[in-house]
Amino acid sequence: MLRLEHVTKLYATSVRPALDDVSMDVDAGEFVFLIGPSGSGKSTLLRLLLREETPSSGNVFVANWNVARLANRKVPKLRQRMGCVFQDFRLLGDRTVGENVAFALEVTGKSAHTIRTVVPEMLELVGLDGKGDRMPAELSGGEAQRVAVARALANRPLVLLADEPTGNLDPETSDDIMLLLDRINRTGTTVVMATHDRQIVDAMRRRVVELHLGKLARDDARGVYGASR
Amino acid sequence: MTGLAFVWREALAGLRRNITMSIAMMLTTAISLGMLGAGLLAVRTIDRTQDLYYSQLAVQVALDEPTSAGDADCSSPTCTGLREQLQGDPLVGGVSFESREAAYQRFLRIYAGQSILQLVRPQSLPATLRVTLKDPTRGDALVAEYSGRPGVRNVVDQRALVQDLFTFLASVRNAAFGLASVQALAALLLISNTIQVSAFTRRTEVGIMRLVGATRWYTQVPFLIEAVITGVVGALLATGGLVLGKLFFIDRLLGGRLISNAIPAVGMSDVLLFVAPLLVVIGAIIATATGYVTLRLYVRN
Ligand SMILES: Nc1ncnc2c1ncn2[C@@H]1O[C@H](COP(=O)(O)OP(=O)(O)OP(=O)(O)O)[C@@H](O)[C@H]1O
Ligand SMILES: [Mg+2]
Repeated sequence: MLRLEHVTKLYATSVRPALDDVSMDVDAGEFVFLIGPSGSGKSTLLRLLLREETPSSGNVFVANWNVARLANRKVPKLRQRMGCVFQDFRLLGDRTVGENVAFALEVTGKSAHTIRTVVPEMLELVGLDGKGDRMPAELSGGEAQRVAVARALANRPLVLLADEPTGNLDPETSDDIMLLLDRINRTGTTVVMATHDRQIVDAMRRRVVELHLGKLARDDARGVYGASR
Repeated sequence: MTGLAFVWREALAGLRRNITMSIAMMLTTAISLGMLGAGLLAVRTIDRTQDLYYSQLAVQVALDEPTSAGDADCSSPTCTGLREQLQGDPLVGGVSFESREAAYQRFLRIYAGQSILQLVRPQSLPATLRVTLKDPTRGDALVAEYSGRPGVRNVVDQRALVQDLFTFLASVRNAAFGLASVQALAALLLISNTIQVSAFTRRTEVGIMRLVGATRWYTQVPFLIEAVITGVVGALLATGGLVLGKLFFIDRLLGGRLISNAIPAVGMSDVLLFVAPLLVVIGAIIATATGYVTLRLYVRN
C-alpha cells in the first residue's frame, strides 16, 4: 500500500537531512505508529506521502502512484484517495461542520444527492450526528478532530495519515479519538499515525516505526513506545 | 458540469462570507472607475465640441462693393466666374452664395434686440461665397490663392480666427485624458491591492482545500469569479454615479441657453453606450488579471 525506497529529504535551508535513506513498507489494512523525538522527521515522512514535499532522492509509492514523479495536475487525484488529519484540525473556519465534510466530497465531483446522504453518515460515524450546522469555532478540540476525521474518511480513502492527531487533546479525549481511528482501521483502512504519546502507543500494541535524526531506528510489529531507550 | 455549478456556488458564498471586504472592493472599484468614466466623458465632449465647430467653419470669400451691390443670386460674371473656379478647386468641398440682403437678415436674427443693429445698414455687409473645405486645415492655401482676385474684397479663414480657442480646447482635452489615465492606473492599483489582501487572507483556507484534494479549478476559479463580480458591480455602480452626475450636475451646468449652443450636451447614450461598457470591461479585466497574478504569486500549489 505504502512504500518508501531509500528516501532522503534535505530541506534547502538545513544541513542535516530531515530523512536519511529511509526504506519501509506498509501493507493494506495495517495500523502504524510513527514515533521519534521532535525533529526526527515524522511530519516530513507524512508530507512526502501527501506530496506536500518531494524527496531529494529515493522513491515514494502510494498504491500504484509513484508519488514523487507524479505530475502536478495529478496530485489532487492522489490526495482525494488519501485522508489526512492534523494536530491543529485544519477545518475551514468559515463553513459549518457539515459543509466542511461536504467540501471533500464536492472536490471529487460527487453528486448533490450523494453528498446529502454521505455527510450525515460520516458525522454519525464519528459521533457528531446532529452537529452538522455548528461552526468549527463552536466545537471542543475533540469534536473538531472528529470533524477532521469525518472529512478525511468521506471519500473512503485508501490510507489515513494522522500527524499527532491527539497532540492538542486531553488524555480522555485522545482515547476517544484513538478508539475511533482503531475502529476505522478495523474496517480495512490503512492508518499511519505520527505521535509523541507514549500511553497511546503502549496501550494499542500496534506496529511501531521509530525515526531518530531522520534515520529509521526501529520497526517493531507489535511495539511499545520506549523500548530502545 | 457539476464542477461549474459548485464553483459558482462557492463564489457567491464567498462574496457573502466576506461581505465587508466585498463591499469595500466594490466601492473602491466604483470610485476609481467612476473618475475614469468622468474623464472619458470630458474627453468625448471636448472632441464633439471641436467636431461641431469644424463642421460649421468655412472660408469666406467676401465680394467687393460693386459686385455685392448689384448681385442678389450670383448671376454677375464676376461672381459666377469665382464660383465656378472654386467649385473646380480640388481643396473645395462645397460653395454656397449669401447675398448682401441674406447676410443682413441673418445679422438681424443673431443680434435681435441689441443696440448694434442701429449701426449696421445692409450696405456695410458684403455678399459672400461660403466655401467648405475637404480638409478644414487647408484654409490658408485658399486664402493665399483667392485674396486680391478681381471682385474679391478679402478672404477670411474662420478656422484661423478661432485657432486659439481650439488650442485651448485641445489642452483641456489632453489634461482630462491625462487625469483619466492616472485614474485608470489608480483603479488598477486599488483593485489589485484589495484582491491581494483578499487572496492573502485565504492562504490558509486554500492550503487546506488543496490538502483535501481540491484542484486549482476548485480553489481559484471561485475566487476569480468573485473578483469579476466585484469588478463588474463596481463598474455598474460607477455608471449609476455617472448617470446621476449627468442628470443633476452636468445637465444643469450645460443647460443654460448660452452654453447649450456652444457645447454639445453629454447624452445619456454617451454614458450608457460608450462609457458604461468600457468601464465594465476594464473592471472585469483588471479584476481577473490581478486576481490571477496574485493567486500565482501568493498561493503556492
Ligand atoms: N519546511 C522546512 N524547511 C526546512 N527545514 C524543515 C522544514 N520542515 C521541517 N524541517 C526540518 O526537518 C527536520 C524534521 O522535521 P519534522 O517536522 O519532520 O520533524 P517531526 O519529527 O515531525 O518533529 P515534531 O515531533 O516536533 O513534529 C527538523 O530538523 C526540521 O527543522
Ligand atoms: Mg511533526
